[in-house]
Amino acid sequence: MSGTEFLLEVRSEEIPARMLEPAMRELATRLFEELMALNLAPAEMETGFTLRRLILMLKGLPSRESDREEEMVGPPVRAAFDAEGRPTRAAEGFARKCGVEVEALRRIETDKGEYLAATRSIVGRPTADVLAGMVPGIVEGLGWAKTMRWGIGEGPWVRPIHGVVALCDGEVVPMTVFDVESGCETSGHPVLSSRTFAIRGVSDYRRKMARRQIVVRFEERRQRLQDQLDEAADNLGGELVADAELLNRLTAICEIPGTVIGRFDPAFLSLPREILITSLRDHQSASTLESEGMLLPSFITVMDRPDDPEGRIKAGNEWVVAARLEDARFFFNEDRKTTLEQRKEKLDHVTFHAKLGSYADKTRRTTELTKEICESLDWQDVVEDGVAASNLLKVDLTSEMVKEFTSLQGNVGGLYAEREEYPAQVWQAIYDQYLPASTEDAIPRGRAGQATALADRIDTLVGMFGLGLLPSGSRDPFGLRRAGQGVVRILLEGDLSLDLDLIAAKSVLLFEDLMDRDGQEILSDLRPFLQDRVRHLLGLRGYAYDTIEAALTAGSSNLPDLLARVEALHKVREESDFLSVVLAAKRIANIVREAPQEDLEESRLKEPAERDLHDAAEALRNEIDQAEKQGDYEPGLRAIAKLSEPLDRFFVEVLVMDEDLELRSNRIALLQGIQRMISRTARLTEVVVDKSEHRGRAESKSSSQGRE
Amino acid sequence: MQSFQELILRLQTFWAERGCVVQQPYDLEVGAGTMHPDTFLRVLGPEPWNVAYVQPSRRPADARYGENPFRLGKHYQLQVILKPSPKDVQAVYIDSLRALGVDLEIHDLRFEEDNWEAPTLGAWGVGWQVMLDGMEITQFTYFQQAGGIELEPISVEITYGLERITMFLGLSRSVYDVDWVPNGVDYGQVRHQDEVEFSKYYFEVADVGFLKARFDGHEAEARRCLEAGLVLPAYECALKCSHLFNVMDARGAVSVTERVALIKRVRNLAVACARQYVVSREELGFPLLAKNEESSLGKEAMEDVRD
Repeated sequence: MSGTEFLLEVRSEEIPARMLEPAMRELATRLFEELMALNLAPAEMETGFTLRRLILMLKGLPSRESDREEEMVGPPVRAAFDAEGRPTRAAEGFARKCGVEVEALRRIETDKGEYLAATRSIVGRPTADVLAGMVPGIVEGLGWAKTMRWGIGEGPWVRPIHGVVALCDGEVVPMTVFDVESGCETSGHPVLSSRTFAIRGVSDYRRKMARRQIVVRFEERRQRLQDQLDEAADNLGGELVADAELLNRLTAICEIPGTVIGRFDPAFLSLPREILITSLRDHQSASTLESEGMLLPSFITVMDRPDDPEGRIKAGNEWVVAARLEDARFFFNEDRKTTLEQRKEKLDHVTFHAKLGSYADKTRRTTELTKEICESLDWQDVVEDGVAASNLLKVDLTSEMVKEFTSLQGNVGGLYAEREEYPAQVWQAIYDQYLPASTEDAIPRGRAGQATALADRIDTLVGMFGLGLLPSGSRDPFGLRRAGQGVVRILLEGDLSLDLDLIAAKSVLLFEDLMDRDGQEILSDLRPFLQDRVRHLLGLRGYAYDTIEAALTAGSSNLPDLLARVEALHKVREESDFLSVVLAAKRIANIVREAPQEDLEESRLKEPAERDLHDAAEALRNEIDQAEKQGDYEPGLRAIAKLSEPLDRFFVEVLVMDEDLELRSNRIALLQGIQRMISRTARLTEVVVDKSEHRGRAESKSSSQGRE
Repeated sequence: MQSFQELILRLQTFWAERGCVVQQPYDLEVGAGTMHPDTFLRVLGPEPWNVAYVQPSRRPADARYGENPFRLGKHYQLQVILKPSPKDVQAVYIDSLRALGVDLEIHDLRFEEDNWEAPTLGAWGVGWQVMLDGMEITQFTYFQQAGGIELEPISVEITYGLERITMFLGLSRSVYDVDWVPNGVDYGQVRHQDEVEFSKYYFEVADVGFLKARFDGHEAEARRCLEAGLVLPAYECALKCSHLFNVMDARGAVSVTERVALIKRVRNLAVACARQYVVSREELGFPLLAKNEESSLGKEAMEDVRD
C-alpha cells in the first residue's frame, strides 16, 4: 500500500481484562476522528491489544497535510496609508503576517468600507508532526473505569506505562506520554521474552511479535484459543459448556494463547452442576466440559505461555481446583444442615432497603402480591405453589454458597428446595426468579415461577419509585430498568393478561406507610416507565415505532392485548384503503380538535356524500364493535378500511366548515362519531404515512382525488 | 521441598539486598501486614520508605479448629513496602520469585486485576493478585489512599502469602504437612495446637461482654492519646479495637446494625491517627526526607490533611 504507515504501541503493566476492549476502541476512534478532521484519514486501520499493550497500525496515511490558502482581512485602507500614500505600520505589519510584500496586498470592499486583504499560503505539516502532537493527549485521556497514580504521582492512567513505540515509516515520532519518551524499542512476554528489541515498522513489529509467540490481535487470539479448547474437548470425548463471556475473558488475560487441561476428583460431581461450573469459572477462569448433559471431571483453562513443559502448570491448577471444590463442598454441606424454612428467620437481619425494611418484610409483601396476581389471572391452582415459592424466595441470601458465589442467587435456593423435595413448581420458581436476566434468557418456566417473579419485581419497582429512586440517564443502581424489562417480557412471552395498573396499585397498599410518595404519584411514574420498556421490547421484535405508539395511546389494560393490536396494525397498515383511512383520521383530528362535543341529527345530513358516509359507518358499526370486543383486531381494522371510499368522497364533496352553523356542527358530530369508531384499536393519527408513496397508490385507484 | 522458614529467609535476604529495612512483626494482634504501622502510617506523607517484614495475621472468622487443610485463623504474610513505587517493581518482584527457586520457565505467571479496599482503614489501592499456575501467591497493590488521605508519593505493597506459596511449591495436600524446618519440625507441630485452641476461643469461649468493654476502653484510650499528641500509642489502641471487633464478629455476637457502627468507630480512629501522624512527622521536619528533597510535595500533602 502506498502512503505513510504509522505504528503505535503503548506498553504498560497488566491492564484489567474487562477494560481492554473499550479502551482500544476509544483510542482508535478518537485518533481516527481527529485525523479525519484534518483530512488525514488512513486508508487502513488495524488494532490489536493484549493485557500489556494497546496497538494501532495505520496504513495509507497522507504523508502531510495539504497546503492551503487562507483569506486574510487587514486594516481599513484609510488607516493603511498616510497622507503621502506611504504604507503605515499597520499595513506593513499585516503584510508581514501574511508573508507578502505590501505591494501585493489587495483592496476589498466591505459594508464597513474599503479594507486591505491578502491570501496567505499555509504549508501543511508532515503527518508525523501532527501525530506527535495528537497522540499523547488521546492516550493520556482514555476514559478508564478506574485509574491510579504511581511513583511520585505520575498518571492517572489504568496502570503504569512502560513504553511507547511510535513510528512513522520507520522513524520515531517523538512524544512524551506521562513520564515516558517514545522510541522504537519494546519488549516481549515479561518472563519468556523480557529483553527489549527494536522495531522498524508495522510488518517488522508483526514478525517480531510472532517470533515471540505473542498474538496481538484479539480476534486471532480468541480463535486460536477456541480451536485449542475444541480440540481438547474432542480428545476428552465431551463438549465445552458454552460461555462466550468466559472465552472473551480468557482471551484478554493472555498474550501467548495456551491452554491447560486438568482433572478433578469425580466425587465432586455429586455437587450441583451450577455450583461446579460457577466455582471453576469464577475462581479459576476455567471452562467445564459435558457429555450428554453430564459434566465430566475435567476442566480447561488458559495460560499465558504456549506449553507446560514439565506438567507443573497442570498439577498446580489441579491442586487449586481441588482446594476450591473442597470449599464449595464445605459450603454446600454447611448450608444443608439447616432447612430453608429454618433459615428463613435470618432474613430479618438482611436489609432490602433501609426505608423499605428487611428481606423478611419484602417476603411478606411479595407473598401477598403473588396471591393477588394468581387471583387476577384466575390461577386458583397456582396459588399454593406460588405462595410456597414466594415464602422461600430470598432465603438463599443467607447461605454460605451465595455469599461465595453471588451470581448463583436464586439458583442456590432452588437447588436446596429441590433437595428438600419441594414440588417442582416451587423449587423451579425459586430457581428461575431472576429470569430473564439478559436478552438471551427465557422467562421462568412455570406459572408459579412467573407469578412470583412478577410479584418480586413489581414490589421492588413500586418500593423504589415510592422513595423517588427512579433511574436517570445511565444511573440505575437498583437495576430497575432490568426489573421493568423482566415484568414486560414475562407478561408478553407468558401471554399473561394481567392488569398491571391494578397489581401495582395493590402493591402500593402492601407497603403501608413506608413510602415517601402517594400511590397516584408512584403509578403515574411507573406507567410511562413500563411503557418505555414495552416500546423497547416491541421495537426489538421489529415493529415500527409508530405502530407501537398508535396501539399504546389507544390504551390497553394488558400486554398480550396490546401485542395483538400492534400485530394487527402491523399487518394492515400498508394496505392502501387502510392508509386512506389513516390520512382521513388525521384530517378529522385537525378539524374536530377545537370543536366541542356535538350531537348528530340524521335528518340534517343533506349532501349525498355525507349521508353515504353515515350509512357506511352505521353498516360497519356492528362488525367493528364485535371485532374490538373479541380482540379480533385485524378483521376490525380491515372493516375500518372499508370506510376509505366514503371518507374520501366526503372530503372531496362536502365542506365541513359550512356557513350554516347547524350544518357545520352536524358534520362535526358525524366526524366525531367516526373518529371514535376508528380509533379504538389503535390511535390512527399516530401512524406515520409516507405521503409521496401513498399518493402514487391512491391516485392509481382514483384519479379524481386530490390530496394535500 | 522448600521449607517454610527457608522461604522467609530467602525473601528477607532478597529484599534486604534491595535496600529494605528488614523490620520485625508488629507485637500486637493484627488482621494483615498492612496494619503494621510501618505500612499504614509510613505510606502517609512525603518521606521515602522501603521495608520488608513477616507479619502473623489473625483472621478469627477463618479459624477451622485445625481441621481444614487450607484455612487458618492465623497465617503469615511477608510484606514489602516500596515508597515511592519504583518503575521496575514488577521485574524486581519476578526476580524475587526466582530467588525463591521458582523456575519460571516451567510455570505460568499472571497478573489478574484485584483492587484492594479496607473500609476500616479508610484505604484503597489498585493492583493485581499474582497467579502462579492458577494459584494466588501474592497481592500486589499500588496504594492510592490511606486513612482517608490521598497519597503522594505512591507506595507499592507486595504481600506474599507464605503458607500458600510453601504448600503450592510442594503441592502439599495440607498446610500442616508443610516442613517448617527442612526435613524437620513441620507446620502442624509448630502451630496446630494454636489453631485448635484459638478456634475454640473465638467461636465458643470468648466472653462478649469482656470484649465489648475492652473495645470501649481501648477506643477511649485512643482518644486520650490523640489528645495528648501521642499518635503511635493511639494507633495501637485502634489496632486493639480492630482485633476485638474481629473476635466478636467470629463469635457471632455482632448484629448487622452493630457491625456497621463498630466498623465506623474503628475507621474513625484510624483516620484520626493517620491525620495526626502526618502532622507529627511534619513537626519532626520529615526526618527521612533528604534535605534537598523538602519539596512542595510535603506541603501539598499537608494541605490535603488540613482540608
